[in-house]
Amino acid sequence: MRKKRSLTEAIALVDANNFYASCEQSINPHLRNKPVVILSNNDGCIIARSPEARALKIKMGIPYFKVKERLNRLGVAVLSSNYSLYGDMSKRLMNLLKDYSEEIEIYSIDEAFVSVSRPENKNLHPWARKLRSLIYQNLGITLTIGIGENKVRAKIANNLAKNIDTSAGIFDLVRIENENNYLRGIPVHKVWGIGKQTSNWLQSKGIKNAEELRDMDENEIIRKLGIIGKRLQLELKGNKCLPIEKIKKQKKEIQISRSFGKPITKLEDLTQALAIYAIKASAKMRSQKLKSSAITVFARTSHYSTHSYQKSAYKKLINATDNTNTILKIVIALSKEIYNPEYKLSKAGVLMQDLTNNQYLQHSIINYESQENLKRSINLMTTIDSLNKKFNNKAITWAITKRSQEWAMKRNSLSFTSTTDIKKIPNIMT
Amino acid sequence: MLSSDLSLKKVKIPLLSDSISAGFPSPADDHTEENIDLNEYLISNPCSTFFLRVKGDSMINSGIKDNDLIIVDKSLTAKPGNIIIAMIDGEFTIKRLCIKNNELCLKAENYNYPDFSFKNHIDIQIWGVVIYSIHSYL
Repeated sequence: MRKKRSLTEAIALVDANNFYASCEQSINPHLRNKPVVILSNNDGCIIARSPEARALKIKMGIPYFKVKERLNRLGVAVLSSNYSLYGDMSKRLMNLLKDYSEEIEIYSIDEAFVSVSRPENKNLHPWARKLRSLIYQNLGITLTIGIGENKVRAKIANNLAKNIDTSAGIFDLVRIENENNYLRGIPVHKVWGIGKQTSNWLQSKGIKNAEELRDMDENEIIRKLGIIGKRLQLELKGNKCLPIEKIKKQKKEIQISRSFGKPITKLEDLTQALAIYAIKASAKMRSQKLKSSAITVFARTSHYSTHSYQKSAYKKLINATDNTNTILKIVIALSKEIYNPEYKLSKAGVLMQDLTNNQYLQHSIINYESQENLKRSINLMTTIDSLNKKFNNKAITWAITKRSQEWAMKRNSLSFTSTTDIKKIPNIMT
Repeated sequence: MLSSDLSLKKVKIPLLSDSISAGFPSPADDHTEENIDLNEYLISNPCSTFFLRVKGDSMINSGIKDNDLIIVDKSLTAKPGNIIIAMIDGEFTIKRLCIKNNELCLKAENYNYPDFSFKNHIDIQIWGVVIYSIHSYL
């Protein structure tokens, strides 16, 4: 038995259970206690299930058409994904978590690492129980909370909280006596940071679970995995190596890509789709104060197609830009380069690359755009962005988007309820 | 236009609007403060506040009318006397929380509607507390 260190700070991995389904159930009472599944873009596959749907043994990731009849027969509610709802609920969740912790690293739409000080009596269960009931009352979302000395062990604790029925959604890996038994139950590929290849290598060395990984020969790990492997092992032993990253690393590129609801064969459809993505990508860059100096567009046929095709085109810019007009001109020109009338295209996208923070560009020496023009374009974009912000992206757009979009994403079962659009807020019958 | 991201979507109503064409600076310039922000005034817990649209007339005596916009704070614990949103048998409803004969019940504010007693319904849950209703007089 290893000795417990005296600790002042703990790390918890907090995540929401069945997040997408919970968001829907939270604002729609008809869905409470009922089996609910959420479909991916284009209503392709099942990407989320409520616990009731899980109990019916409906599989994750399965194509919708394969189970459509069965879902119907079982009375399962089927919804298209409603990302503006999930995004809003995620923002609310993260803001509440911020109030309940010292530091927070938002890890994904529904999970975050938080740091908290361990109280005098070292018991964090009251904190975790309070947080769980607060989030349930405020958002109707159930949390799982795993507590450890560091991120790797918090992740393991979260895994244990999910799999041990008596845990009530909370597991503190620091406050248990027979830690080895628990670590033995964690397969090595479930340890945070162990990918498939590493897992295969470890298996071949006879390392099957977290306990064996923790006690493995340090030199062997370093030889194969370098410093990253060493850090991981140190964290498994209870040392803290990976800090909470409060600020997300700056993005290296912004990509907007979608599968089409219907395959595209005409150039004008491809150009229109890419133009819409370019408008979105430009606005996204401006909201993050980024400018791009290289643009790539790409298109491809379906992975299942026997007559397959894939092409991309690229343009480097002299001056980094975030101006939609400039970007649109380039993307429209590039779309002609990747178009091929012989293929049914099922997906396309634009990538904004070589991103730089735009405050450093104002003083660039090589700047071919006149200051006057630059100022005018900045003003125009700022006006468009603020109007769109005010009117839910419906105020101003470019004419090219207005032609009918026959290729657009299929979302037949879209849940029409919203928490951010006044026209779609839930109705309440008195 | 209203959203949880309240800091980003302020409805700006200028307190003072001065438009002096030229010449002298406004003597009020130094005293202009800020805009009235209704979100700030109406909402103290933005993370747990939701908007709902009322359909029906069962709350008419309390001043909540058909098509009004109501603001609900889920972080508040409901007390008797509060107007609340409840889920009864899988439906949202808006009622006043009351105590009658030592038991909690939900009361409509319209004599044509019956009261709901908690013990007669298996699946009854309080969703949130109504903090404001917004009615248009146009």
